[in-house]
Amino acid sequence: MPREAFAKQVQTLVKDDAPLALLYATDERTAKRGFVVRAALQAADGFLTLESELPENDPSYPSVTRLVMAAHWFERLIRDQFGIEPVGHPDLRRLVHHENIPADTHPLRKDFTWNTKLPVANEPYPMHAVEGKGIYEIPVGPIHAGIIEPGHFRFNVRGERILSLEGKLFFKHKGVEKLVEGKTPKDAFPFVERISGDMVVGHTLAFAEAVERATGTAVSARTKALRVLWNELERLTAHIFDMGNIAGNGTGFSFMAAQGFRLVEELRRMHESLVGHRFLRGAVVLGGAHDIGDEASDTIRTVLARIERELQTILDIAFTNDGLMERFETTGVLSEAAARAYGARGLAARASNIAADARLDLPYAGYAEHAPELVTEKAGDVAARFRVRARESAESIRLIRAVLDTLPEGDTLAVLGSGKGSAYGWNESWRGMVLDWLALDANGRIDRLVITDPSFTNWPLFGELGPGNIVPDFPLCNKSLNLSYSGTDL
Amino acid sequence: MSIASLLFVFFQGLALLALAPLVTGMIRRVKALLQNRRGAPVCQPYWTFATLMRKEMTIPEHSSWVYRFVPFAVLGTTLALALVTPSIGFGAWGPSISNIFLFVAIAALGSVFLVFGGMDTGSTFGNMGSNREMTLAALAEPAFFLVLATLAFFAGSASLDGILAFFARTPWHAGTLVVAPTLLALLLVTLAENARYPVDNPATHLELTMVHEAMILEYSGPYLAMLEYASALRLALFGALFMNLLLPFGLATPAAGALALLVGLVLLAVKLALFALLVGLIESLVVKMRFYRMQEYFTLTFFIAFAGAVIVLAHIL
Repeated sequence: MPREAFAKQVQTLVKDDAPLALLYATDERTAKRGFVVRAALQAADGFLTLESELPENDPSYPSVTRLVMAAHWFERLIRDQFGIEPVGHPDLRRLVHHENIPADTHPLRKDFTWNTKLPVANEPYPMHAVEGKGIYEIPVGPIHAGIIEPGHFRFNVRGERILSLEGKLFFKHKGVEKLVEGKTPKDAFPFVERISGDMVVGHTLAFAEAVERATGTAVSARTKALRVLWNELERLTAHIFDMGNIAGNGTGFSFMAAQGFRLVEELRRMHESLVGHRFLRGAVVLGGAHDIGDEASDTIRTVLARIERELQTILDIAFTNDGLMERFETTGVLSEAAARAYGARGLAARASNIAADARLDLPYAGYAEHAPELVTEKAGDVAARFRVRARESAESIRLIRAVLDTLPEGDTLAVLGSGKGSAYGWNESWRGMVLDWLALDANGRIDRLVITDPSFTNWPLFGELGPGNIVPDFPLCNKSLNLSYSGTDL
Repeated sequence: MSIASLLFVFFQGLALLALAPLVTGMIRRVKALLQNRRGAPVCQPYWTFATLMRKEMTIPEHSSWVYRFVPFAVLGTTLALALVTPSIGFGAWGPSISNIFLFVAIAALGSVFLVFGGMDTGSTFGNMGSNREMTLAALAEPAFFLVLATLAFFAGSASLDGILAFFARTPWHAGTLVVAPTLLALLLVTLAENARYPVDNPATHLELTMVHEAMILEYSGPYLAMLEYASALRLALFGALFMNLLLPFGLATPAAGALALLVGLVLLAVKLALFALLVGLIESLVVKMRFYRMQEYFTLTFFIAFAGAVIVLAHIL
């Protein structure tokens, strides 16, 4: 497609109910195709890709962001990574490159070697500022008091009221997308497993699905069911952690934190006993999944029964505590329109009344047989996100039991096929959909791997849900989304 | 002032000074137990202070003499309060020293210096905390004055000593509905004046939500120990005052001799333990309120104090 028509076509499809899920670029100069930008739109039966070749000596195209807002961070990212200019983009500041990266550094171009030593530069990295009488700025981070990842936030406030809020993230660059190029999927797997500590299954499942689709590998029904099991266990653990963290540390109702973290610890110990890793590394592998026997199955049932009972007790206490609910309600409201415009994914979107769940919309792994019930809430506030977690936890427990009850026989490790080419892989992780695009070269090695963590699409939401709140409520808003800094910054 | 009175005052002050970290430790332990956690030993605050005293201090580059003066001013005013608060007993001071207005004024002086300390470093969090502290102080003061004035009217004395003497002579007044609203208001003021739930969270690590902790964020080592000790002492003396009004038993006087003093000391420890239990229970059941709901909390406190004042006046007249 000619680059002049690219943005317009994306807009037409988005209006036709195929939301923009991903915008990415590739360097295909060796194949004489210059740079290529692609848009992935989520249609009813898969991802529709629009692509446009850009000439090598003038890598630019009319910006998609002008017409479809969900593209705004993707275009800034591509500009940093490849030096491709989205002409007419309303906010062309750097995104992943901080001040210290010299101008014209585009690490994902093929002629940039991964171990290039860059001189320290001092390029401008301006942040939003509001001016006026009585307005002051609060810089927070990147080093925080809690044991969390680094991220810098800039509040412009008047009194306690937040007027604007912007984050400066990307302190955790690991070069994953660059490092996996030229590696076999098998060698790349550990990199994917380590993208975000609390979303191991979330990322490995999406990557495994992409690899299997690209290579034409069929996995067994048992593998598919086990993948549902591990994914839902990860979701359950993360949701309980978040509910404890939001209600406990966010509001100071420490009871919730103590109880929630206790249950999380029990689950993590169970994970270790089952797969040998507290955070489920090794649960999903290329072409397979970690198998369980009868004994492990009984362990899961026993632990789950206890967790379910205790979680119910704890949640009853939380939901009947007026002081707690009062802190949650009307705090950090994300409107449905904003969530749609920004392309929010996962529970942040569902709490704002958007019916989006990749497990139902585009079933993969064993989700065709084990379909979860769609959970949405209307209010879009912290209370809604808390409720979505509570209801999804119950649903995860139901799915896990269903998998254990109907686990088909069969092997759990398929040999990877020899197919080449490209494919998408996705997974509705506990945060939201992970969407990967994988292109294999003629030797079966990775030519390009695009990874999107839902954190990347959801971080800009803070610009919407923060303002209007008071400063002391921001930690609560933050915990209600609980995004990954590392997952955002590959 | 006689030698006996002087010794009595010192003994009383030392007792509070020694017991104060224990109160903090007990509150933490109660909270931990109510969360099914084991928690740190109740003596932990003593070790923490000892550790802080041995640590090096980091003084912010842009701070002035105010920053260095604040720990002394805050601890000094709190010590002054500890000396005039009738904790083990009463009768040592003349009426002019433990005057209620003087008491509130000294308490406010400490708060104001804390606010200066938060602002002097020029850090955003310190200023934010100071800003919030002044807002809260302005909201808390009317209710505090009203509570003490009501008690003064009831007891017919404008000094804490006199009020306690009255309650000790007529302990049947303490449990009645006449003073109950006033004591409830005093409890709510005590929580607010000591940066406890639901006004402030002393245990949080979230700078954006802090009030008291934000002001002392830049302090370290011995200065931090002084400020933390002042907080613990302030809580203990408010607790002693509240519990003595609620349970005015076993209070000693300078003339009563060593045994009465010992009984008073033991009873003070028991009362403070009950107070720690109460605060720990409140902090486990209550969620910290939103900052912009603070005026509602203080309005409620003021109206309870006001109702208390009306009932007491009606009772007297």
